[in-house]
Amino acid sequence: MSTTLELLKIAPESSAEISGFLEFSAHTLQEVALIIMALVYTTRIVWLLRFKPTKERQAPTYAGTTPTAGIVYSMANIAMPWAMESTRKGFLFYLQFALFHLGVVAAIGLSFIIPYASGLLTSVLVVTILQIAVGLACIVALGRMIRRIVSPVMRLISTPDDYFSLALLTVWFFFAFLAVANNATHGEWHLATYFLMTAFFLIYVPFSKISHYLYYPFTRFYLGRTMGHRGVYPRRVGINYRS
Amino acid sequence: MTKKSDSTEVKSGNKRSRKVEKVLEKLPSQLSRPVVGSLVACVHCGMCTKVCHYALARPDDPKMAPAYKADQVRKMFKRRHDWTGRVFPWWVGASEPKTEEDLEKLKDIVFGTCTGCRRCTFNCPMGVDVATLVRNTRGLLTSVGVVPEGVAVVSKDQWEIGNQMGVLSEDYVETLEWMSEELVSEIGDPEAAIPIDKPDCDVVYSINPREIKYDPRTIANAAKIFYYAGESWTMPSEDWDMTNFGLFSGDNALGGAVGQRLFEKTKELGGKKLVISECGHGFRATRCEAQTWAGMDIDFVMESSIFTMLNYIKDGRIEVDRTVNSDPVTYHDSCNLARSCGVTEEPREVLRLVTTDFREMTPNRSDNFCCTGGGGAMSMSEYTPMRLEVAKVKADQLKATGAKIVVTSCHNCVDGLSDLIKHYKLGMEVKQLVDLVADAIVPTREPAAVEPVLASMGGTLIGKKILVVDDDPDTQDFIETVLSDNGCITLTASDGDEALEKARAERPDLITLDMAMPGKSGVEVFVDLRNDPDVADTLVCVISGRPEFRKVIYDRPVKPPEGYMDKPVSEDNLLKNLRRVFELAHGARVDAKV
Repeated sequence: MSTTLELLKIAPESSAEISGFLEFSAHTLQEVALIIMALVYTTRIVWLLRFKPTKERQAPTYAGTTPTAGIVYSMANIAMPWAMESTRKGFLFYLQFALFHLGVVAAIGLSFIIPYASGLLTSVLVVTILQIAVGLACIVALGRMIRRIVSPVMRLISTPDDYFSLALLTVWFFFAFLAVANNATHGEWHLATYFLMTAFFLIYVPFSKISHYLYYPFTRFYLGRTMGHRGVYPRRVGINYRS
Repeated sequence: MTKKSDSTEVKSGNKRSRKVEKVLEKLPSQLSRPVVGSLVACVHCGMCTKVCHYALARPDDPKMAPAYKADQVRKMFKRRHDWTGRVFPWWVGASEPKTEEDLEKLKDIVFGTCTGCRRCTFNCPMGVDVATLVRNTRGLLTSVGVVPEGVAVVSKDQWEIGNQMGVLSEDYVETLEWMSEELVSEIGDPEAAIPIDKPDCDVVYSINPREIKYDPRTIANAAKIFYYAGESWTMPSEDWDMTNFGLFSGDNALGGAVGQRLFEKTKELGGKKLVISECGHGFRATRCEAQTWAGMDIDFVMESSIFTMLNYIKDGRIEVDRTVNSDPVTYHDSCNLARSCGVTEEPREVLRLVTTDFREMTPNRSDNFCCTGGGGAMSMSEYTPMRLEVAKVKADQLKATGAKIVVTSCHNCVDGLSDLIKHYKLGMEVKQLVDLVADAIVPTREPAAVEPVLASMGGTLIGKKILVVDDDPDTQDFIETVLSDNGCITLTASDGDEALEKARAERPDLITLDMAMPGKSGVEVFVDLRNDPDVADTLVCVISGRPEFRKVIYDRPVKPPEGYMDKPVSEDNLLKNLRRVFELAHGARVDAKV
């Protein structure tokens, strides 16, 4: 336990050099994984674009409503918890979502900071912020896993990929939490595990539901375009006398 | 190796029924970019269960979750079209139905536990259009005939008879005439009569067949509003149904065909604006979807009657007294109007203008709950017990307003709300905006002077000179005899040349014109008449047994005929239609003088 707590502290300046394996994991392996991910994502986007786009053939429902306004509103929807009843009523759930995804950003950012900007991690403030972000995300992820197991609705709609993806992220958050301080003084296992998991995560993501962030712009774009054309998005203020 | 059984074709090692095969073959035709986006983007977060009235009313039934319903088609897509689903189907829950029993279960899910209200779509963090996925699944099932019986019957009527309630042409016209007579009697002005097939009007008004069958007063109320607004309007005699079961069944072919009929009829009548009576799905289907389904562009405007009424009041074309409607009212937003078409503020503005005590329900606008009668639910009696059970959410919402009247701009909602009000003993009445506006109208228009010729519908033929043109001697004799017995001076012609000669020589008041004749056809005779300045204004009523001539005649670049009847024609129908032609012609001449 005390060793684990030591890992969370910023490494002293006179810390030992890292091993060749950790060097490989933090650099080459990440780069290769990123390239693979990028290639697979590109293939995925090309695949998605092969399907026919749709067109609203009718005149806009109201003069002055535009698809563009609808698209912008739709894209920004997730940042407007007041805009949807589901997030208004379940604000705590929305907060968890925000913490979870902030943690994702922090943990992914860490995979770049450690190899390429490790100087940042000599700042107590930066390290603390990242540890809080990733730590909270780990707790949220654990809670979400419990929910997915306990709730009958969640059990019915969940697939093995749903469980595995969540489990993967929960464990990954844990190791990211340990890795934030970038302290190899008492061993490298936490850092190596973090980087190995990150590489696996990057390769696995395009084939799993974790890639939903790639699809978000598409679903939001098309829903927003239709609803903007019909004057549904953005939510209306005022009366239009002419349809 | 393939073996055939009595009802299914089974391939060795692939035990799928033929219907299932057809469903899976059809799936790619639905895969547009937005649909595929919705299929791949779901993260199974379960947020949709917080807003679906089925899930809220049955919290212990996980199968009410919208994500579960959308997953039914998602599983098929993943198995056939998604890379992980093709290689590791069990990992991502990819699978396909195998038997017709599987399709029947699927039918119960997508028809019986979803009204397509789109609350889930609007509350999905990812923007997954769950309701569209459910509709698409319905479309797959419809393509192989696995549909609830009510949906099948209504769709068949809409295909074959032209409207979703199987209202026959004669019944439709008779109902319009009945409402017309009552309105004329109430107002005391024959100009309040409902014009049918009047060409070149500003407004063509299309309705829901429910209005003919169950609620004809809404037609009279609309006519009253048009009358006091001094509107130039008409109703079509056919292809008048603006509802669209293609929206509910997921059948875009039906959706496009229904829309196309209405659009072509409006164009044929030369209407500048198609006004759609209060109907949520009808407005959405006609105004927002049918052009895409039919692949058709139009050159006239479409609007909901809500806007028509609102503009009449705002422009001062009608005057209203809101104190007439003093009971507390609330407004139910039809899902299709609010969430799919953005019509939320205008009905409220109308209510503020015609009522004194309007109470908002909560939630409202695009957050409002479904009436539970949408998505074709009212035609699917096998799901009625579930529908009424989950309607508790809506019932509680209505009760909380304390209103005596719930107003809605949708006929499905009228039925859905009426059902749940009765079931939960809420003691409320359901009305539509057109009823409240008509009740609140302040009569500001003086009835037009009544000339003796318009005093009775039976007197308009007496003394009229009518040329009967038909190459069939029996038909010619029949028409001539009927008209003579009713006071007309009759002339006859058996071919096109004779018809033109007599028309120019005798200058009849009206010509009944057959189309298919030897030598010069009825079409050529008609065009020649219209191009001859001496006889161009002669009233013409086409009587033909060849329906294809209708389009030919109306496509000609001349003023269309004043009437058109299909053979065989009955005595009553002949007299009724010719009287109407004379009445409308007389009315047009009065308008011209004014």
